[in-house]
Order: sequence, then C-alpha cells, then structure tokens
Amino acid sequence: MFNSDLMKKLSNCFGPSGREKNIRELITNEIKDYADEITTDPLGNLIVRKKGNGKKILFTAHMDQIGLIITHVDEKGFLRFSNVGGLKAKEMLGLRMVFDNGLEGVICKEELKNNEKLSMSKLYIDVASTDKEFVKKNFRLGDMCVFKSEYYETEDCVVCKAADDRIGCYILIDAIKNHPATDNDVYYVFTVQEEVGLRGAKTAGYSINPDLAIAIDVTATGDSPDGIKMDVKLGGGAAIKIKDNSIITHPEVKDLLTYLAEKNNIKYQYEILEFGGTDAGAIHTSREGIPSGVISIPTRNLHTSGEIFNKSDVEECIKLVIAAAQ
Amino acid sequence: MLKEFLFDICSEQFVAGFEHLNGHILTKYFEPYTDSLEKDNLGSYIFKAKGTNERKIMLAAHIDEIGLMVTKILEGGFLSFTSVGGINPASLVAQEVTIFGKENIFGVIGIKPPHVTSEEERKKPLKLKDLYIDTGYTKEEVEKIVKVGTIATVKREAIALQGSRISAKALDDRAGVAVMLETAKELKKISHKSNIYYTATVQEETGQRGAYASGYKINPDIAIVLEVGFGKTPDMPSHSPGLGKGPIVSYGGRFNPKLTKKFVEICKKYNYPMQYEVVPARTGTDAEALQINREGVPCILLSIPLRYMHTSVETVDLADIEITGKAIARFINELDNSDLEEILCF
Amino acid sequence: MFLKELTELSGVAGCEYEVRDYIKSKLREIGCEFYVDKLGNVIAHNKGRKNKTIMVAAHMDEVGLIVKHIDSDGFIKFDAVGGIDQRVLNSKAVLIGENKIAGVIGSKAVHLMTQEERGKSLPIDKLYIDIGSTSKEETEKLVSVGDYVSFKSDYVEFGNNLIKAKALDDRAGCSVILELLSMKLDADFYGVFTVMEEVGLRGAVTAAYQLEPDFGLVLEGTVCADMPEVEDHNKSTIIGKGAALSLMDNTTVYDIDIVRNIAKIAEEKNIQYQYRTSSAGGNDAGVIHKSKEGAKVMSISVPCRYIHSPVSVASKDDYNNVVKLAKEIILESQKGE
Repeated sequence: MFNSDLMKKLSNCFGPSGREKNIRELITNEIKDYADEITTDPLGNLIVRKKGNGKKILFTAHMDQIGLIITHVDEKGFLRFSNVGGLKAKEMLGLRMVFDNGLEGVICKEELKNNEKLSMSKLYIDVASTDKEFVKKNFRLGDMCVFKSEYYETEDCVVCKAADDRIGCYILIDAIKNHPATDNDVYYVFTVQEEVGLRGAKTAGYSINPDLAIAIDVTATGDSPDGIKMDVKLGGGAAIKIKDNSIITHPEVKDLLTYLAEKNNIKYQYEILEFGGTDAGAIHTSREGIPSGVISIPTRNLHTSGEIFNKSDVEECIKLVIAAAQ
Repeated sequence: MLKEFLFDICSEQFVAGFEHLNGHILTKYFEPYTDSLEKDNLGSYIFKAKGTNERKIMLAAHIDEIGLMVTKILEGGFLSFTSVGGINPASLVAQEVTIFGKENIFGVIGIKPPHVTSEEERKKPLKLKDLYIDTGYTKEEVEKIVKVGTIATVKREAIALQGSRISAKALDDRAGVAVMLETAKELKKISHKSNIYYTATVQEETGQRGAYASGYKINPDIAIVLEVGFGKTPDMPSHSPGLGKGPIVSYGGRFNPKLTKKFVEICKKYNYPMQYEVVPARTGTDAEALQINREGVPCILLSIPLRYMHTSVETVDLADIEITGKAIARFINELDNSDLEEILCF
Repeated sequence: MFLKELTELSGVAGCEYEVRDYIKSKLREIGCEFYVDKLGNVIAHNKGRKNKTIMVAAHMDEVGLIVKHIDSDGFIKFDAVGGIDQRVLNSKAVLIGENKIAGVIGSKAVHLMTQEERGKSLPIDKLYIDIGSTSKEETEKLVSVGDYVSFKSDYVEFGNNLIKAKALDDRAGCSVILELLSMKLDADFYGVFTVMEEVGLRGAVTAAYQLEPDFGLVLEGTVCADMPEVEDHNKSTIIGKGAALSLMDNTTVYDIDIVRNIAKIAEEKNIQYQYRTSSAGGNDAGVIHKSKEGAKVMSISVPCRYIHSPVSVASKDDYNNVVKLAKEIILESQKGE
C-alpha cells in the first residue's frame, strides 16, 4: 500500500541542495528504530547501516531538491536570485516559492525590450510586502526557497514537487523497514547536493567503498507530448538504467537487476536517458572503480512544481531494491 | 604484425561500457610480451610486465570506441538510436551497421530520398533523432533480437591505403593500444627494470571513467598516455601535425614538463621524428583522470596523428605507431638507468 | 538472379565496361545473339513468335563520382556523376579507376566543428578523397583526372528477404533482363542494356532509334520512401508490396490503358504489384516513347530504399515479382491474334 502521508511529508519538507537539515531529521526519525547504525558524514550525507558479514552494498537516494538562492534583496521587497540545480528562466515565471521560514514570494519578470530573451537576470521575486522593516527582517542574501505546490494524488498517480528524489528516499525508507534477512552489509545512504553535481555521493562512495552500488532516482519518460524520445513510460515498472550522461551501467549490475526482476516477477523496463546524471555517476569512478547501477522511477514533468509518478512503479522499485539487498 | 593487430581489433566492437565482450583479442596479442592480465572493477585490461625494481610505469590507451545505442523499436522494424560518445550525425548517413543483439544482425542507416525532403530540410543540420536503422525485419521479429539498450556500430572493414596508411573505424584509440603492443614487443627484447602496466582503459569516450579506476588501482609513479591527435587535412591550418611525421608531443598544464622534455631529448638522441601541439587546459584524454589520481601522477601525452576522427574512416600511418612504440621503449630504458625522482623534482 | 555479381561491379555512367563485359559473357553462356552499338549499349535478341517489336530496357550505369583535380598534398577533388545527394558522401570507402585504388572520403573531426557545422552535410566541392598518398606525385602515379570513382559496397542479404547493395538502380533491371533472356521464351523481344541513363538517358536514345520498337518496357530500380515519419502519400513505393507500376514521372505519362491492362495481367497471374505514387524522377521510357514515330511504353520497377546511395535496399520478393510480370507481359504481347 502506498503511504501517502509519508510521501506528502517528504515532498513538503524543505531541503534544497546544501540545506538538507530538515529533511535529514525527518528521515532519521522515520528509520531510527530500524537501523543498526546511523551516521552523518562531513558533507551531511545520512548513512544508515544494516550490518552483515557479507558483501558491502550501497543504496543511495538524494535528499536535496532544486530551488533558488537569493543574491540580492532590495528594500521594496524585490529579491533577485540564482538557481540551485537545473531550473530554466522560461519555466519559472509566475511560480510561487516558499522559504524555510514559511514565507512566500512569486516570480515576476521585468519588462522586456525588443524581443529580448527572458533570462534569470530579468526575473525577480515579489514577497508581497510594502513594509521595509518586514522585508529587511525576513529576507537575507543566501536564503534559499523552493517551489510551493500542493500534494495531489489520483487512484494510480501522484503529483508533487521534489518527487526528484524524495520518492527515492521513500523507497529506501520502505526498504529499510522491510530489510530482508541477509549476510550482506547494507548501507542505505540519503545523499546531499545531487542536484548541483553529485557531490554528496562522491564522498559517500569513497568512504564506504562498497562492492556494489545502486542509486535510486527519478528518470524522464517518453509517454507524454513533451517531445522527449525514450521508451520509458509511467506504469511500465521499475526502470533499470542502461545509460545516461554520468554512467553506463556496469554490465554485471544490469544483468543482476534484470535477473532479479525476472526471478521475482517484478515489472521492469530498460532506460536510456540522453541527458542528466545520478549519484551512481560519481560513485562508480571512486577509488578502484565500483560496479554501479541505477533503479529509476519513471517521472513526468521533471524539475517542475508538479512532478508526476505512478504508485505501482514505486512498488516495483521497492521490491527490486529489497531483492538486490538480499 | 601491427597491421594484422589493428585489422583484427578494429573489426570488433568495444563500445564504451561494453568492452568486456571481446577481450580475448587483446589477450592473444599482449600475452606473449607480458606476465599477467588483470581486469579492474570497471573492466579496464591491465597487462603487467614485471620488472626488477619497485617502480611502476603505466601506459594507458583507451580500448573503447564511440557507438550507437538503440532507444526505441519502431513499426516496420526501424530502430531509433542515440550515440555513446560524440558522433557527427552527418557521418552516419548511408552507412551499414552491425547490431549486437541476441545475435548480430545487419542494418543500414538511410535517409529520406530528396523527393520527400525539401531543399531547406536537406540543408538543415541532421540530428541523431532524425536517423533510423533499417533492420529489414518487422517490429515483432526485431523485438526478439534487439532490446532498448542494444548497441550497434558502423560496419567497416579496415582498408589498406597507399604505403603504410590504413583506414578503419575505432583507430581512436586502437592506434594507441597498438603503440603499447609495439612498446611491449620492444621492451621484451631490450628488457626493463621497471614494472610496466599496459592498460587498455574503458569508457574514455564518455568521460575518462575507466582511467580514474585503473589509475587508482595501479597507483603508478608515472603514466604515458597514448592517444590520437588531429592529423592534417585540407580543411585544417597548414601548421597542423601531419601523418607519417612521428608522435605528437603535447605541452600544457596536464603534462609533467620535465618528463616531457626527457622524452623529447630521447627522440632527438635516437633520431625518432616527432611533432608538437599545445594543449593549455582540458585535453579530453585519460591524462585528465590520471594526473589527479591519488597524490598525483606525472603524465606525458603522445598522440598518433589521425584524420577524420570519430568517423568510420579514421586514417593513420602505421609508421607513426611503430616509431612511437620504439621511442617509448627507449625512453623507459633510459628512465630505468636514471634517478626518476631527480627528473620529476620541480 | 545475377544481382550479387552485377551490383559489385563498377559502372559509373560513361564508364560501363565492367558491367558490359559481364553481360556479354553471360549472353554467350545463355547462347543469345547480341551486338554492341556505337554508344556501348548491349542489344540482345530473343527470337520467337512475333507480332510487334518489343524493346525491354534496363540501364547498366550507376551514379558515382569522377576525379576532377589532385591537390598539392595528394588529396583528390571530385565531382558527382548523376544525381547524388551530398548527404550520403560523408565517411565512405570508394574505389578509383581501373585499378580500383582504395580511398576514403573523410570529414573534419566532430571536435573541430562549430556547433553550427555539426550535423550539416558538406557540398561536394568541400569534400575530397584520401588514398593515403603522401604527395601529389604519388597520387598522380595511381590516379588521373577523369578516373571514375564508385562506392565500395558489398552485396548483403539481411532482414526479411531483403538485400543491400549499391547500384540496385538499375542492375536490378539488368538482372531481370538476363533472367528473361535465359528463359528462351517463344516470344520475340530485344533485351537492351543501355548506357548513361543517369546523366540524361543518353544510351536509350540511340537504342530506340535502331530498334524502332512498337512497345518499350523499361525495368528499373525506383525510389521508395517507406520509412518512419514519411506520410503515406509521400512513400512513392513500399518495399515488399510487389512490382511497382508507373503512372507518371518527369519524363513520361504512361498510357493508362496499358497500365490497367498490365495490372489485370498481374491479378490474373497472381503477381503482387503496386503503383508508383510519385511523379518525380524519370527513366529511359522518356526517350523511347518519343523516338521516331513514337512508341507505347511502360515502366515496372523494383522499389529501392536509399536509392542513389551506397546502401540501397530492395526486396528479393519484389524483384521476383518484376521478373514474373515482365515475362507475362512479353508472352501476352506476342500471343498472336
């Protein structure tokens, strides 16, 4: 059964790249009764261990989400900003944003002259206040904000912000709670700063140095009119990544995941993403090289305030993670 | 033997990420000149020739090549594809391909004939998504053989051109691997004190990923990176390095200046021809990864001049490979008899 | 079927001797009377029952390249012979001249291209052939201005009864005529292997002049665009759907009564056929029907994907349907009153 409450909490929790404190606490509370060991490394990765004497297996999902960082505050209550992670100016106009302190703003644009192209520098956040003191007190350079959007679900699908990659976190939390009986030494790591360059995964991979690493992250789909040409679709099951810009899945890992899916009757599909990357990209070139792969959740409308995924795909992903842990 | 090796190895596929399938060819040629083979975690082939001292010298050339990967199977048995590594879509039109599915099947990449292609459309740059592989099967038939993720390469037999020049696919960087073979052969003759690691690295074309892991594993004292460089053609500046004039020695921040100087001295001493190029920053070679491996590895980069890079008719002069292989053997021989620390000391 | 042998020969328009020699030797084997005319057309005669003069024509020549200039570094500049889409030239292996010197058409490394240049095809005057020579002198010893250049492309069978080869346009037609001649039908017809179709239907002019046919049947390899993202009405022909009957092209409007009659023959004999739905292109029929007092003509073709490229694709089934249909047309025409 899909735990909508948990997903809603994860999605709504504030945690842009580099500011993962809240989400780390939320996840820690969820899993603290199930872990053998919980540590936080210098970058802020949350490392949850289920001990064993066998092979060292690493699962990762990133906690951070995309957002904006304030680069200038004027007294009239207009904020200038830069992006944290992959966001494009043309997709931001009119969006509502929310800060850590719960205050909000809306993204507006300056007048454009002579067919001038819309760029980030032409956008600003209006915080809806004419009170200079209020602005000064509540908004500072370096503050971050994220999309404001409401969680919504239908019978089979979920729409929410930061599904990238809170749905990965959801899957790992579920896997930790249902950790199978195994000799394997399993590390479930909730990484930081994936959206700004796979940074958390890099140090986690190095310090844990596992025999096998699998990242759980979202992937795009080719089943909507948005023009992305790929074979992955919502409801098609767990996506086993073949390639993206950061990794070509190790052939043995691909074969292993395929074998496990077939053996356990887990619905799966192969994924080739012609852009983007995941934590596995940073992990697999660590030290002497770490055989790595990715289990992806097909997700439409990525990096927007309304990312859409299918609940049954999530179930298949969880089954595959548990099978791999074993 | 060089020609035989290159004709053999260029006819097989080692698409980045899929280099594990045809390693036996490497073994066949390197085994006689080396003591052991180890494959690292990402699949790079490390042939070691044992020495008598503790010193470790790594030679690195990447075995992977650019290729195609199936992204969708369409009605009529056509395949959509993406590339693994950088390919100019224009070079794929009207090519034959081999598709490495459950079995190897033949296909062609055609384009729409002119009568359904407007003049404007023909002038527009082609994108990979405009191209299809024609398998000649129905969708249902081809689905039994090919899956999303199946790889393909342009089908091209190596061609002997005039003199010692040959044309083939994947000479980037099998030419570099051939240099290692030549060095191994040469060093077997004149013997060496250092431990030599002939490393055929994987996934260079997708970001030097193999070199990160194999460099870490070997942890060498120095590394000699063997690549291909842009050989002069009519559409390039007149000062570009030419075919048949020896290796291209690179100058720039990625390379140890004193080690590079030493190599140049030795070429001069033994009358090996060579050429120069300047690469101030990013090189797009395994040196990117090796230089910053662990505590750092002094690197030099030698490139075999090659025309038409990343097409199926890459062209090199075997003489350049032979000269480079021999020069490296001499270089290692001299290093064996000198104080490496002194050479490397800044 | 003589397609493997025929397509692997070089026969760029104006230089058809390899194909001609092969056809001559086959005609001798078959025991068929023939002569070669002043332009180089091969004209074979199958004697039999006759009530009209029938000329069955296919062209021996193919599109290709010709050496134009050898530059100071020994690279070869070239021109196109016949309609070659410049997009198909990038990164190809070629054979030059009588001695078949191997060469490649390279292109700048993708790394050295600007974003704008990537994916763009280069015009022919920016391309060159590299034979691995180190100097102008070395190249000149092997290659001369005026040498013809053909694509290197082997005959390959693949997929569902498909073949890949160069020059299917129109060695397919040549092969059909050789098959028809070897059947020794009791029906009179001339099998004509023409030259220089690709550069302006030249050979067919003189052949038709000599034979004064009542009916000309042209056998061709024709355009087929049944690939993804081409709308149905633009496909022209579809591979595997049978012999393609022409309705109209740039050089001929076919007599509709003849077309319908041939469709009827195909239906009666259970021979798969389709109509060629494009009116672009042209062939020898264009000059045959206008020769002297004029003649009736028909074109029947084997659909070829990627025509005029080194990797043309055709179906053996379609080819066999063309053979069968051509045979029935000849027999029907000479059946007598």
